Parts: sequence; C-alpha cells; structure tokens
Amino acid sequence: MSVPVMTVPGEPPAPWATAAVRAAGLRKTYGSGETAVHALAGVDVAFAGGEFTAIMGPSGSGKSTLMHCLAGLDTATEGQVWLGGTELTRLRDDDLTRLRRQRIGFVFQSFNLLPVLDARENIELPMQLAGLRPDRAWLDAVIARLGLRERLGHRPHELSGGQQQRVAIARALLPRPDVVFADEPTGNLDSCSGAEVLGLLRSSVKETGQTVVMVTHDPTAAAYADRVVLLADGRLAGELIAPTAESVLDALRDLGA
Amino acid sequence: MRSVLFAQLRTHAARLIASTLAVVIAVGFVVGTLVLNETTRSTVLDAVGAQYVRTAVVVTSADGSSLTDDVDAIARLGSVDAVAPSLETSVQASVPGRTGAQFLLVGTVADAPDLRWQQLATGRLPDRPGEVAVSERARAAVGDVLTVTRTDTDGNETTSEARVTGVVDLRGDPSAGLYGRAYVVPDQARSWGALDPTELRIAATAGFPADQVRADVATRLRGRDVEVLTGAQQAEQKAAGVTGDATTLTAVLLVFATVAVLVAGLVIANTFAVLLAQRTRELALLRCVGATARQVRRSVLGEALVTGLVSSAIGVAAGIGLAAAVSALVEGTDSPIPLAGISVPLYAVLAGLAVGTLVTLLAALAPARAATRVAPLAALRPVDQAPLRSRAGVLRLVVGLVLLLPGVALMAFGVLRASVMIALPGGVLSFLGVVLLAQRGVPPVVAAAGRLAGRFGGVPARLAAGNATRNPRRTAATATALLIGVTLTSAMVVGSATTRSTATAGLDAQYPTDIVVESFDGPLPTGLSALLDRVDGVVRSAAVFTADVSGPDGEAMRTQGVDVAAAGAVMRSADKMVLPEPGQVLVPKWLAPAWGVTDGGRLTLTQEGRRLDVTARVVGEGSPVLTAADLRSLVPGAGVGQLWLRLSDADPDAQVDTVDRITDVVAEADPMAGVTGVVTMRDQIDQVLDILLLVVTGLLGIAVVIALIGVGNTLALSVVERRQENGLLRALGLTRRQLRGLLAWEAVLVAGVAAVLGVLLGGAYGLIGAASVLSPLGDIHLAVPWLQVGAIVVIATVAGLLASVLPARRAARTAPVAAIAG
Repeated sequence: MSVPVMTVPGEPPAPWATAAVRAAGLRKTYGSGETAVHALAGVDVAFAGGEFTAIMGPSGSGKSTLMHCLAGLDTATEGQVWLGGTELTRLRDDDLTRLRRQRIGFVFQSFNLLPVLDARENIELPMQLAGLRPDRAWLDAVIARLGLRERLGHRPHELSGGQQQRVAIARALLPRPDVVFADEPTGNLDSCSGAEVLGLLRSSVKETGQTVVMVTHDPTAAAYADRVVLLADGRLAGELIAPTAESVLDALRDLGA
Repeated sequence: MRSVLFAQLRTHAARLIASTLAVVIAVGFVVGTLVLNETTRSTVLDAVGAQYVRTAVVVTSADGSSLTDDVDAIARLGSVDAVAPSLETSVQASVPGRTGAQFLLVGTVADAPDLRWQQLATGRLPDRPGEVAVSERARAAVGDVLTVTRTDTDGNETTSEARVTGVVDLRGDPSAGLYGRAYVVPDQARSWGALDPTELRIAATAGFPADQVRADVATRLRGRDVEVLTGAQQAEQKAAGVTGDATTLTAVLLVFATVAVLVAGLVIANTFAVLLAQRTRELALLRCVGATARQVRRSVLGEALVTGLVSSAIGVAAGIGLAAAVSALVEGTDSPIPLAGISVPLYAVLAGLAVGTLVTLLAALAPARAATRVAPLAALRPVDQAPLRSRAGVLRLVVGLVLLLPGVALMAFGVLRASVMIALPGGVLSFLGVVLLAQRGVPPVVAAAGRLAGRFGGVPARLAAGNATRNPRRTAATATALLIGVTLTSAMVVGSATTRSTATAGLDAQYPTDIVVESFDGPLPTGLSALLDRVDGVVRSAAVFTADVSGPDGEAMRTQGVDVAAAGAVMRSADKMVLPEPGQVLVPKWLAPAWGVTDGGRLTLTQEGRRLDVTARVVGEGSPVLTAADLRSLVPGAGVGQLWLRLSDADPDAQVDTVDRITDVVAEADPMAGVTGVVTMRDQIDQVLDILLLVVTGLLGIAVVIALIGVGNTLALSVVERRQENGLLRALGLTRRQLRGLLAWEAVLVAGVAAVLGVLLGGAYGLIGAASVLSPLGDIHLAVPWLQVGAIVVIATVAGLLASVLPARRAARTAPVAAIAG
C-alpha cells in the first residue's frame, strides 16, 4: 500500500537542470467562465534525459493533454514548456513544426502510418519532411533492432498491428530525437505484441540513451518505465521510481481510479 | 425522417453551395440558350415581318396574277378599314457626292396610317410623288435630291428626281444591308415601273379581330387562287426563312448546354459523395437508432430534390439574366443575328427546372445507394485506414470498348470518305466510349504523372501522388468532368484553326490577288496605277500588260504579259497560280489543240512582223500569258489590261472602305473598268470563325468552370477523409505550407492530367472533324494553334490549383492533435 517515493506537487521534481523536457505552471482550459473545464490545472514536471517515464492517471486526468502540450502538438493556455533549452510555448507554428520533425518522435495508439507509403517510406518520412538524409548505419541499426528488414516494402495494411507499431517506433527513433512521446502504444495490440513493443522502447532507452515519455493506463506497460508520474484532475498526484505492476496498481487505487 | 432531412438542410446549407453552383450554372446555360433563341425569333419576326405584324390580313396571289381589281371589293367589306396594295420595283439612283449609281429596291408607303409600318430614323414619310424615304444603306440624308434612272423592259431609260424626306430604320432586318431601300407613294412607284400588286395588306375596322377579317376576305375571294393569312401568320412564315440559320445556332448551343448539364451531373454526384462521406458517422448513427436503409436513402434523395429545385430556380433566373445581358450587348452592335429586348417562353422555364432537378436527383442516386450501405457500426469505429480499392466495372469496360472501337472506325472511314455525316456519329460514339473508359485509364496516368512529380516536388508531391490515386473512381470522375470540357474546347480551337488555314489557303490559291482592276474595252488609263498606289490601304500594285498576238494558227489572241517580280510581291499565294518564265508562254488547255502544241513544245508567236520563239506550257484556263518583257519585245506598245492590288491587313470595315475608295478612283478614271476581289470574302471567313470560336469557347469554358468546382469538391472530400492523416503529418513535422502544397499537388496532378489528356483527345477530334468536313473542298492545311492549346493546359491546371486553395486552407487548420484524437 505504501508508495515508495512521493514528491510534493509544485516542487521541481527530478534533476531540473538536466531535464530533457520540463513544464512549469502548465494550464490548459477548455471553454470559459462557468462552463470552463481545466484539463491541466497547473502542472510542473520534468523528465530526465535517457530515462523512460510513464504518465499515468485515471480517464480525464489530463495525461493525454499533458503529453500533447509537452510535445508541441497542442498549445497550453498558460505556463511554459522547455525542450532542452528551447521554450516551446514561445515558438510560432512553423518553428514548432520544424522542431517536432527534428527533435521529437511520436508513437501513437492507432499506429498512424500513412497508407500510401510503404514501411521504409513511412520510417524515413519525418527526415524527408525536414529535407535530411537518414544516417545509413543508424537506419540499418534501427531496422535491424526492430526486426523490420523483411517488411520494408510493405504498405501498412499488409502489416500486422505489432509490425505497424514497430514501423512507427522506427520512424520515431530514426531522427535521434531529444525525446520520444508514446501515446498508449500498446492500446491496440494483443499482450504479446504489446510486450514486444514495450521491450523495444525499454531497450532503446537502455542501449542508446533515448529519452522516452509514455502515456498509458495499463499498469503492466507502466512497469517497463524507470519512473511513473501520476496525474489526477489535471494536477500532478505523485510519482513512483522503479515501478512494478503492483505498485502502480496500488498508487492508482489510492487516486481513486 | 422528414424532420431530420430539414434539420440537415438547415445545418448544412453551406455544404451544398458547390452542387448548387453547378446546377445553377448548368440550368442558367440551358435557359439562357432557350430564351435567346425565342428572343431571336421574336426580334426577327418584328424586323422581317415588320410590314405584316400590325396588319390584320395579308392577301397574296398564288399564281402571280394581279390583285388590283380586288382592292375595291375587299375595301367594301364591313370588317375592313383600309387596303394597301404592295407595289415593288427597282431603280438606279445616284446620291449627291457619291460616284456611280446604286441599286435601290422600291416599296410603297400606304395611304392609310394604320398600314404604314416604316419606322423613321429621321424626317418623315413621303406623301406625294417626287418624295422618297430611303434606308440607311442608301447613305443619303434628308433633303438630298436623288437622280433616279429607271430602265424599262425594252431597255429605255427614263430619269427623274426625288427629294429624300426621311431615313427609314429597318432595325434588325438581316437583309437590310444588302441593297438600299426606297419607299414612295403608290403613284410614284407605278411611274417608276411597278407592276400590278400581287400582295394586299388589309387593316381591320376597330373591333374586328384579325381572324374574322381573314374569314371575310377569304369568303369574298373564294375561287381565286390566293392565299389569305393573318398578318401574324404571314410574318411567321417570312421570319422562318431568315431564322433557319439561327435555329441551327440554337441546336449547336443546346449541344453545349447538354455538355454543361452532363458535366454538372458529374460534379453534383461528386458533391453528394463529399457531403455523405462527411456524414458517414451521422448516417450510421441514424441507422444505429433504428432508421432503415430505405429511410436513409429517402432522406438523401429528399435533400437532392430540394437542392435541385432551389438551385434550378436560381438557375432559371440566372439564365434569363444572362440572355438579357447578351441581348443588351448585341443590340448595340452589328450582329448577324438581331436581338432586341428578351422574350421568355414558358417552356424554357419549365425545361430549366426539370433538367436541373432531374440531373441533381440522378446524380444523387449513386451516393444515396452508397449511403444506405453505411453499416450502423461505422458510427462507433474509426474510418478504415486501408486504401480503398474500387474495382472498375467490367461492364463499363466492355461498353466503353464497344462504343470506342466502332466510333474510331467510323471516324477513320468518315475522314477517308470525306464525309462529316459519317465522322460525326463516330466522334460522338468514341467520345462516350472515352468517357466510360476514363475511369480505368485516368488513374494509371495520374499515378505515372505522380511518380514524375515525386521526383521534383519532394515529399508533398510524392504523398499527393499516392493520395490522388487512392480512390481511383473518384479521381476518375473528377478528372473526367474536366476532361470533357477541355477536350471539347481544344477540339473547337484546333478544328477552327485548321478550318481557317484551309479556307484561307484555298482562297489565297484560288484568288491570289486581293483586288483586280480590269478594263473591258481597251487598256486602262496610264497613271491609274500611280493613283491607286496613293489610295489609303493599298500596299502595292502590279500591272498586267495586254496585247493581241498571233499564234501558230495565225489568229489574233488577247495575250497577257506579267511582270513576275512585281506580281509575286502582290500575290498572297503562288500555289495555284502559274507564272511564266522568260521564253515561256502559258497556253490555256482549250487553246493548245488550235495552236497544235503540247506541254514543252516549241512555238513561234508573231505580231506585225516581229517574231518570238517560246516554249509552251499548257496549263489552266483563260488567255495565253507571257512575261511582260517578252510581250513588250513582241508588242512594244502593249497597254495595261489589269492592275493587281494588294491591300494592307486591316480590319474588314477598313478594307471595305478601301474598296469603296478604289472603286471611286477607278470610276473617275475609267467608267468602263471593273473592280473585283476576294479581300472582303477572306475577312468574312475570318470574322465568322472568330465569332464562332469566341462563342463556343465561352460556352465550353462554362463546362470547364463547373468541372473545376468538382476538383475543389474532391479535394474538400480528401481533406475531410484524411483529417487524421493530415494531423499525423502535421505532428510528424509537415509545416502548414507543406500541407497546402500537398493539396495543391493533388489538384495539379488531377487537373493537369485531365487537361493534357483532354488537349490530346480534343486536338485529334478537332483535326479529324476538320478533315472530314473540309476534304471535299480541297487540300487540308492542318493547323494546331500551339499557343492556344498550351494556354488551355496552363489555364485548366492553374484553375485546378486555385480550386485547391479553400480545401487546403481548411486542411492547414487541422490541429496535429487530430492525429491522436481520431
């Protein structure tokens, strides 16, 4: 029942200065006045480089909104987000877009590959949008690690869900982004493929020092992370270091989920 | 369901703008055409039938016998107020200040005011002998005194004078320009040689309807070989002869209207597909809560019905407005088809409403059927991500080929046999085949063009290429709509260019000189050449000498001597005109046997002791031709028999003025000389083709505009369907600009491919059409106006690009979050 480590919300957590991504006073409000909904009600959070962090919380806790704001996909109503030394909340749309394609990788729940492109083209897409040539050795390494060599010429609809998600991970890793955001990456997968995908994310952190931030509601998935950040009602509700499925489940139960 | 239908219409009215626009334009076109036709008819009726329209009854002698004796008998009828015999004659009249006499057709001014139909531009109508009213063509002013020469059947000339009292406005009468008209009182007409009348115009006594008068007159003239018609009937009969051409024009216009309607149909079908795709979830939800497939279909068709009716109504109004605008525009100009005001026949309104509504309903059928196939579950799950693979129907392929192959064969046969009656059905058949096969043919071409574009356009172009072929059926429908418009436009452009160059080349060859001044008795006065050179509009002249020369048979023969260098500079084409070389004589075919020479034979020409040995070249008709130097070595005193003139390439009006000036100069110098030439004919052909091309291109342009609305629609649909995908691209780093570029590339691919294919097809059709029409007339000069053809491709493609602007703006607003939110 006991939560190993808990920090007090509002205090800079983790090594603030070396954080790959951090947010301060982040608020996101939909609507206004009486009917206003506070998806994020003032969040301060930091994610250390080379760490695998899971963001967890009950439905409606604001975990997806938090990730969207951290990744520059959505604009916050108030507060700041930094990616390394860059303040995302100050960037214009074009600069933000360029930053996304060079410094941020995404893995989505529903894979989100482009149906008109084959696996290789999907993997190379963000680099090509940026007008960059992928580093061949790195490309080969990523493809080998994800076991996609045989599948490069296939269109997404010719791939299984697990394979599609592996293509998505390869796409996210290829530009060597500062951080990879994964939004429920196992949500549409069977448990076996899900475990495989999580293992791949885990190993990319361990072997290449990739920073990964993952939103999930699955305690088993969260157990792959180095740290779990808990969210409830748009506020930080604590964190777990070196989580296990059981400790995550307990922490969630305490939040009333 | 009805409440749902109306709620849909209220909420989504804006979505229907595209299909409404397509229907409005197409219906407006149809109605405008019909209204213009009716307006032309009634205008012509007013102009041509002017002397009958307000006449109660017209009696015409069927066998040409005199009706003079019947005038009194008819005038005594109670229902008849007045009778005016129509007297006609013709005279030569000279107007002060103009050289030479002109031919005037003389008509009568009725004594009874009711039967006076002439509209005056200025002055008054004559009311006694010695006075005359003339038409504008006569170019005389009020107060001028005309010298009138009347030659009777025995050749005796009598000369009298008549003072012009007024100028009559013949308004839209198409025959007004041919000859001048003069109107005089009946006594004057008789003294100018008018024969007994064969036509009587009758005014009714107040209160008697025309039909009653007609019956009375017919009863009185029973047994006589006459035709008795009401004025309205007579006017119609006369107008029919004139509007025959205008009716052909209407038929042509209606063909284009049909094209516009077809293209609009394709666009409407696409629009409804867009609307329904946007609403897939909504429709599925309806099915979830218990709506049957039939109810869904009825709701969709109901929407189509309302859209069709409303937009057809707007279209009818637009069409009438269009006709009014055209009519107002044309009224001020010198149009071959007269228009004044507008008349709107009921059938045009009804036809417009019916066509618009039916086309909308028909076009909505397929999307409506697709809508009923929406599974209730679609409301609950995200849209399928796999690319749509539609199978092009085998039936369509078979029917397409069955139409295309015989059509092409017919066209080939038509060209070989030089028969447009064979080639035309072939063209229609094959084009229908092409339209059906486009479904299969267009997507691969778009894909190929896409691969090409991908090389240069980077990622957005490559993605666009993939997107453009994802729904082959829709891409094909969009491209086909544009293809039809572009094909027909370029067929017209290429066809008319070929017609023009063939006709001009034919004329140039046949009549190489613009103007020939020729004397019929003796040589032209020396110095005339210099005078003519000074006439404004004349570029240069060449003299052709003429003298009598004795041939081998000893007979004197009028022979021409041409200065080859000077003549060459004047002639427009030397294709058909053979000029002699020094030491050569051109011997006409008819003369060769008499002179006993064959082509290439030697012969000797003599004249007054001089001899000239020449080689014969047997060619053509006319008289023998030598070079000017050879002729003068034989006859040193040879005079000028002809002057060839070349005019500057001015507009037709200016050239007519030039011809008038030349005629005046020649008439003064040598009254017996004639001025002939085809310069005006050439201009007329040019002018007719220009007008035709302008009108037709304008009309087809409408089809292209409608098709471009379709391109915009298809892209709008893409944007809706790929919201998530576009969001993903934005998330992965596609800038807004690149996303707009993506849509622009898609538009350019579809529109560009349609434009290029359309131009190729249209060019072929244009050449085939022109070849089958013109080859009986002589050599064909195929001409492709590359500039215009290129312009068509560029315009269609750029317009497609413009059509992508709105959907692209909408796509660019897609938040990257949309990718995740689904």
